[in-house]
Amino acid sequence: MDTSSPAAFVNGDLLRRYIGQKVRAVVQVIRSDIGSVVGKTTDDQQIVVKGSPPPSLTTYLEVIGIAESDNTIRADVWTNFGDNFDAGNYNELCKLANGEFRHMFI
Amino acid sequence: MAASLTAGAIAKMLNEKVKSEKEMMPILQVTELKMVQRARQNQETYKLSLSDGIQSQDGILNANLNLLVKQGKIQVGSVLRLSRFVCNNVQSRTFAIIMELEIIAEQCNIIGNPLPANPGKPRSSGQASTDQTQQQQQQPGVVSVNTQSIGGFEQQQQGRRSELSNGTVRYGVSNSIQHQVGERRAFDTGSEFPGTKPSVRPFVSSNAGYGSSVQERHGLTNSPQPQVGEKRAFGTASGFPETSPPVRPFATGCGSARQEQTRAPPRAYSRPPVQPQPPSMYANMGPVARNEAPLSISSIAALNPYQGRWTIKVRVTSKGELRRFNSTRGEGKVFSFDLVDAAGDEIRVTCFNDVVDKFFDMIVAGNVYLITKGNLKPARKEYNHLPNDYEIHLDNASTIQQCYEDDAAIPRNQFHFREICAIESMESNSITDVIGIVSSISPTGSIMRKNGTEAQKRALQLKDMSGRSVEVTMWGNFCNAEGQRLQSLCDSGVFPVLAVKAGRISEFNGKQVSTIGSSQLVVEPDLPEARELRAWYEREGRNAPCISISREFTGAGRQEVRKVITQIKDENLGTSEKPDWITVSATISFMKVENFCYTACPNMNGDRPCSKKVTNNGDGTWRCEKCDKCFDECDYRYILQLQLQDHTGVTWATAFQEPGEVIMGIPAKELYYMKNEDRDEEKFEDIVRKAAFTKYIFKLKIKEETFSDESRVKATVVKAERLDYSSDTRSLLEAMNKLRTEDANPESSNFRSGAFNSGIGTSGTRETSSVDVPRREFGLPAANQVNQFGNQHNSDSGPLGGVTLCDACGSNNHVFANCPSFLSEPQGQHVNSAYGNTPGRNAGGGMPRQHVGSY
Repeated sequence: MDTSSPAAFVNGDLLRRYIGQKVRAVVQVIRSDIGSVVGKTTDDQQIVVKGSPPPSLTTYLEVIGIAESDNTIRADVWTNFGDNFDAGNYNELCKLANGEFRHMFI
Repeated sequence: MAASLTAGAIAKMLNEKVKSEKEMMPILQVTELKMVQRARQNQETYKLSLSDGIQSQDGILNANLNLLVKQGKIQVGSVLRLSRFVCNNVQSRTFAIIMELEIIAEQCNIIGNPLPANPGKPRSSGQASTDQTQQQQQQPGVVSVNTQSIGGFEQQQQGRRSELSNGTVRYGVSNSIQHQVGERRAFDTGSEFPGTKPSVRPFVSSNAGYGSSVQERHGLTNSPQPQVGEKRAFGTASGFPETSPPVRPFATGCGSARQEQTRAPPRAYSRPPVQPQPPSMYANMGPVARNEAPLSISSIAALNPYQGRWTIKVRVTSKGELRRFNSTRGEGKVFSFDLVDAAGDEIRVTCFNDVVDKFFDMIVAGNVYLITKGNLKPARKEYNHLPNDYEIHLDNASTIQQCYEDDAAIPRNQFHFREICAIESMESNSITDVIGIVSSISPTGSIMRKNGTEAQKRALQLKDMSGRSVEVTMWGNFCNAEGQRLQSLCDSGVFPVLAVKAGRISEFNGKQVSTIGSSQLVVEPDLPEARELRAWYEREGRNAPCISISREFTGAGRQEVRKVITQIKDENLGTSEKPDWITVSATISFMKVENFCYTACPNMNGDRPCSKKVTNNGDGTWRCEKCDKCFDECDYRYILQLQLQDHTGVTWATAFQEPGEVIMGIPAKELYYMKNEDRDEEKFEDIVRKAAFTKYIFKLKIKEETFSDESRVKATVVKAERLDYSSDTRSLLEAMNKLRTEDANPESSNFRSGAFNSGIGTSGTRETSSVDVPRREFGLPAANQVNQFGNQHNSDSGPLGGVTLCDACGSNNHVFANCPSFLSEPQGQHVNSAYGNTPGRNAGGGMPRQHVGSY
């Protein structure tokens, strides 16, 4: 994976800002198929994550990849985040990381 | 001196337009003044006639005002303003009971030409003679009245009396005017009085109830009656069923009738047999038919010791416990309950012994009852905190009847709230009600009382619109019941409104409010004040700065004051007289393993073990010096030296048994055995390693201690809790929000980011960022003097002391906050890049995958 540029923390709303760029998001798995996973972002929007998901998925999943559209990510890295995850806090993080504290992240 | 009287006041009082000081505080002149003695009570009561220049009315002074009369401050002619009084009306007689007054003028000529209050009431007066002379002052009308036939008079009296017996407190003071004339004189000379009195008295005593009334009447009637010789004759007789001779020197006649009403004769004097009651219609004698006339319900405010047959419709607001006591007279039982009536006034009721049995089961808090015929006694302020000067004592003649249909007019709970800022100036040990928003609540703690028993206590902070907050301490059951509810409400983010009734104000580091046995806590009460508070809180109160009138740091009720480690040094915590208690969120960066526990005395001292270090006697037994006992088995208690670190600095702290166990995860004894007996080094190290580098919320007690000329600031871990990232993050977010609204200063972003990152294990990220960090962390302890005395070492390392290194750029002449690289770009971009890890991530403070380049 190309690790030269940082992946921006996104939720559903912010994804569209980074189309074509590397992003990371934590989603709650709704449905998983062979080739894609449908997940709910931390701001309750549905996105599709394409790629090869790991065989077993926990409730929360972090994906890092390129944003293809405003509701699709082509993920290279999949990480299981377990079943307990505070989506609210993550959402706040996304907002701050792309807003007020952008300078710290990107 | 011509003080002006409130013209028309008497008329209003007579018409019942004015019933108490709530409607007006009239200025009246005393036109007659007489003392009456109640046979049974050995209590002097002063009756007087009050005039407003146009009319007059009878009144009675409450016992506490007697002194004023004795001192001569109140005389005939005195002008008074009634500041607390109640008017009662019986039939057409009104009578004022005065509880408080202001003396406007002690001496004054009679103003105006006041008419007697109830013209036409016959009066008998023993003092006929004197009265006669006073005639002049009477109004013509009066005279005529007086000429009623005796018989008729009596009947009239009796009739009145029957009303009296209803317990209504009316007192037709009709003859007051007449009285006045006489009174005045009577008062001054006392002549009349004695005249009639004696005769009356004996009379009185025989009548159970009417004793007092007789007296009074007596006093009152002194004056005018005279004209009517006959009146004299009947005097009280009429009133008194029992007493025969109509021709009683009773004189009081009308007066008596009147008086009866307001006196509480029944209660005071009698009891059943000689009921004051509606004496038969036949003058002087005959059995008194008890008149069970329809109840007329009076209000709590109108109750006073001078009348006995009253009925009140009230709701029980709180029911006390049944208590037994031992006194010189033997054993006894007592129980009390509090009442509120439709007007919102409150009074306490106490029952003793048999009466307890009668009523205890019947009373249920919240229900409405009709209570009749109790005794009014002055309230015992040390037990009774209700705003009423009296309390009711029930006896066997009292009755309580439950009203099954609830009366919505009677409030459920009567509060007299004070603002928190007012509490600050209130005296210690006084009782008050308070309402506020619970801004925080701490978990239940146990306190050891002096007598060795443990007590549960729980503290919370209450905030209200005055911009102040106060600590409210709950004791005993309140901790569990309401406390739990409040805790869950607060945790879920809803800050509830709490109303406290009868909380005691105590002074302990500022003012605090504590619950007492008779306190009540109502969570989210349905009161207008509650709604106001809620609205204020939503609007602005949430973040409004609240000055606490209870200083939080020491002892109970400690507020969770979050600090960062550098603040310990910077703010010189612990150097003041009292230790400082703070909370930090930090990681254990090092733990001394050599002496992690000590041998402790297991002797139980009350509920807690002695825990002093025991010395080995050499033969396998252990001796404690404090308890002076030997034990075969000693306890092992933790005494961990820890190095705590957060994003700002490092400090040493000592953790004892309780937090030690939380940190290590296993009891000290086991660990001890593992190390020394089993020599299981690997396992031991494993455990130690696991314990280190975990993040906890520590409650620290910081205190400066002096050891032979050296003073060190020592930190003790009082409590260690594992960090719940989720809630910690949330609180950080809140803190950020607060900051953001308070402070638009770009510099503050530095702090914010600092706060933002403290959720992350400092260890991982630090390494990547600054140069000096590693020095601070793992390797350091060895370099530092490994001893107990805290911060000293740290001063060598991080920014806390000698060498300060800037986290961001590693140069040593400034700190992180002032880093020029930071300052040049207001946004401080380089600085916290490393801390980009999301606080929410539980997966550990791994390396940030973002190459943020810059730092």
